[in-house]
Amino acid sequence: MIDVTDDDVRAEVRQWLADNVDPALGRAEWSRKVFDAGWSAPSWEPEWGGRGLSSAQSRIVAAEFAAVGAYGTGADRADMLACTVRDLGTAEQKHRLIPPSVRGETRWCLLYSEPGAGSDLAGLRTRADRDGDDWIINGQKVWTSFAKTADYGLLVARTDWDVPKHKGISFFIFPMRQPGVEVRPIHQITGESEFNEVFITDARLPHANMVGEPGGGWAVLQLALAYERRLMGDLARTSRSTRDLKPDADSLIGMARSAGVLGDSTIRQQIARAEAYATVNRWNTQRAKATADRTEAATLMALGKIAMSRILHETARVQTEIVGPESMLTGADNPLGDAVTFRTLNAYFTSIGGGTDQIQRNIVGERILGLPKEPEPYRETAFRDLPQ
Amino acid sequence: MSTVLTEQQSDLRDAVSDLMAKRSPEAQVRRLMADDSGYDTAVWAELAAMGLLGLTIPEEFGGAGAGATELAVVSEQMGRVLLCAPYLSTAVLTPYLLLALGDPVECTEALPRIAAGELIATVAFAEAGSARPKDQPVTSAIADGDRWALTGEKTYVLDATIADRFYVQAHCDSGTALFAVERNAPGLSVAPLTTVDQTRKQGRLTLADTPARLIGDVGKGTAALDSALDRAAVALIAEQAGGTMHAMQMATNYARVRHQFGRAIGSFQAIKHLCVDMLLEAESATSAARHVAAAFDACEPDRLADLALAQGYCSDAFVSVAARNIQAHGGIGFTWEHPAHLYLRRARTDAQIFGDSNWHRERYVRLREENS
Repeated sequence: MIDVTDDDVRAEVRQWLADNVDPALGRAEWSRKVFDAGWSAPSWEPEWGGRGLSSAQSRIVAAEFAAVGAYGTGADRADMLACTVRDLGTAEQKHRLIPPSVRGETRWCLLYSEPGAGSDLAGLRTRADRDGDDWIINGQKVWTSFAKTADYGLLVARTDWDVPKHKGISFFIFPMRQPGVEVRPIHQITGESEFNEVFITDARLPHANMVGEPGGGWAVLQLALAYERRLMGDLARTSRSTRDLKPDADSLIGMARSAGVLGDSTIRQQIARAEAYATVNRWNTQRAKATADRTEAATLMALGKIAMSRILHETARVQTEIVGPESMLTGADNPLGDAVTFRTLNAYFTSIGGGTDQIQRNIVGERILGLPKEPEPYRETAFRDLPQ
Repeated sequence: MSTVLTEQQSDLRDAVSDLMAKRSPEAQVRRLMADDSGYDTAVWAELAAMGLLGLTIPEEFGGAGAGATELAVVSEQMGRVLLCAPYLSTAVLTPYLLLALGDPVECTEALPRIAAGELIATVAFAEAGSARPKDQPVTSAIADGDRWALTGEKTYVLDATIADRFYVQAHCDSGTALFAVERNAPGLSVAPLTTVDQTRKQGRLTLADTPARLIGDVGKGTAALDSALDRAAVALIAEQAGGTMHAMQMATNYARVRHQFGRAIGSFQAIKHLCVDMLLEAESATSAARHVAAAFDACEPDRLADLALAQGYCSDAFVSVAARNIQAHGGIGFTWEHPAHLYLRRARTDAQIFGDSNWHRERYVRLREENS
């Protein structure tokens, strides 16, 4: 790591932005400039669009870019394809895949979950069969954001059915734009469609796009997931530090007042309870950020997702009580009921997405509290012999 | 405003934690539960020698002049072990009350003796039916020249049977005030209450034309008492947080070692998830207690709303975690010999002693309404 101070970094990036930001520049031209200057992935080596800064300094760069409304930095934290390939890819893969991804010339999506492999991701059944220098892929993936616009999918598929489930999985950079790839939006309970299903039928990819060894995909995936969790944590922290992630809780009193029920002692009690969940979580986050004790910080951060689920579900529940019968109605004519139902249903986005609350409790129980894992009776059983 | 402890505050925490481990193990707690006085005079002297009894008392009155953060640090450790001592009444509530009343004579007389461990004092503010002071207490004070005489009944009085002096809230013609009543005053009788939590003694006072001294000014008693109860609540929620954390750890430790069906019960999700939910409550209560202490030290404008929210939260958290700890222990948790129930008893008392959680939640909403 090059020895530069945070102030040096801040000053340099500010100056560079002042000298180079030009609204007339096209997207590609700008991205190339950012890459060449080493701002695309500031904590990486120059050949991958970086300048060897620390991870904290990379965030300083991101803050400076954000302050002037410029894009193109932060790939070292946000580009899962580049992060994974940079750590575990071959030299050829790195040169071929990282620069265009970091410059935003190619886009990626994640092909992990399947209809039959959610919490138990290692139970996935999408298959990859070797055919000369290629692999032929067949299967179905779900919960894929941006599948329609992606050039590549980070894909986990089963390459060996005769070994225990974790050991027969391989990790691929899968070209999305080919026949045999069908993307269908998922119609969510909220009425929105952020995610897609991806149906893969006899699609092909070259062996050169396998990351890691055949059968070594689970370890690659763990790394990719760790990067994803870090990114989610970043996003959660930045949005939580702004005041507008609490408006749900903040507006409970206002909402009850407009609904004419603020004088109802039951409602008042419920408002205070829901606001307490949100407030203590904010205090937990503040304590996690402030402490120098890593165990304390890790414990508090690990609880954040479970806490957020409770906040969202409880806040939506209290809002339902406040609007009462309006919660039966929806649509643009009924904004109160519509919003309350949306929040009620969207709370599952947090309590299921990214690992259900129940899986999260297993993880916290085992990693933070040191409670023993469930026994795994099929630990040594070949995948094809598992009960269905 | 920061919730990070300074080196000095960390040292204080470690010192108190060591002392609690040595002086308040379960056997000692059980001994004092069965003892009418409910505290150990030698340990009390040790607390005085360490400066803990005068922790929040200003230096000019013989104390350490420490803030709410230090008090919370100490209280958290005391709460973990269910320390049996009149700390909350004598070393926390009374000094805050006297300082809020601003009576220099009483401060000069009483506070140095409290800091030195020579005076056990408590505040008698509750009357039948409410743990919170009433705006218009039934207990009356009648003036006779410079002297006052009190008549009435006070209940839920912390450490009443061992107190040398009581600060009693009473009303007179021109308002509400606090009066000092000596233990041996004529017309005063003190009866112990049979409490669910034997680690925290309470009593009932009956006053019949009992001579008393007016402390501070008539009419300012209620505000001073409210302020003292708020400041003392910073210690109470820290105790609750400490107790919650300890109860959670008891359950978790047991879940790791107790085997049924050939496996540690903590490997069952039914128990694992219970423990994680307890962890969330314990950590959240801890963050709340520490935040509120820091907010009081920084005189944050929202500190009373934060306190009200935290009192409701910490009360419920301690009760529910202490209860789930019993459940996690199964049969052994249902026995008197196991300490799990001691935490539930303490939790249920703490959830009432300065007002119940519904009261605090109502107060929170009221404060928020006023600010919006």
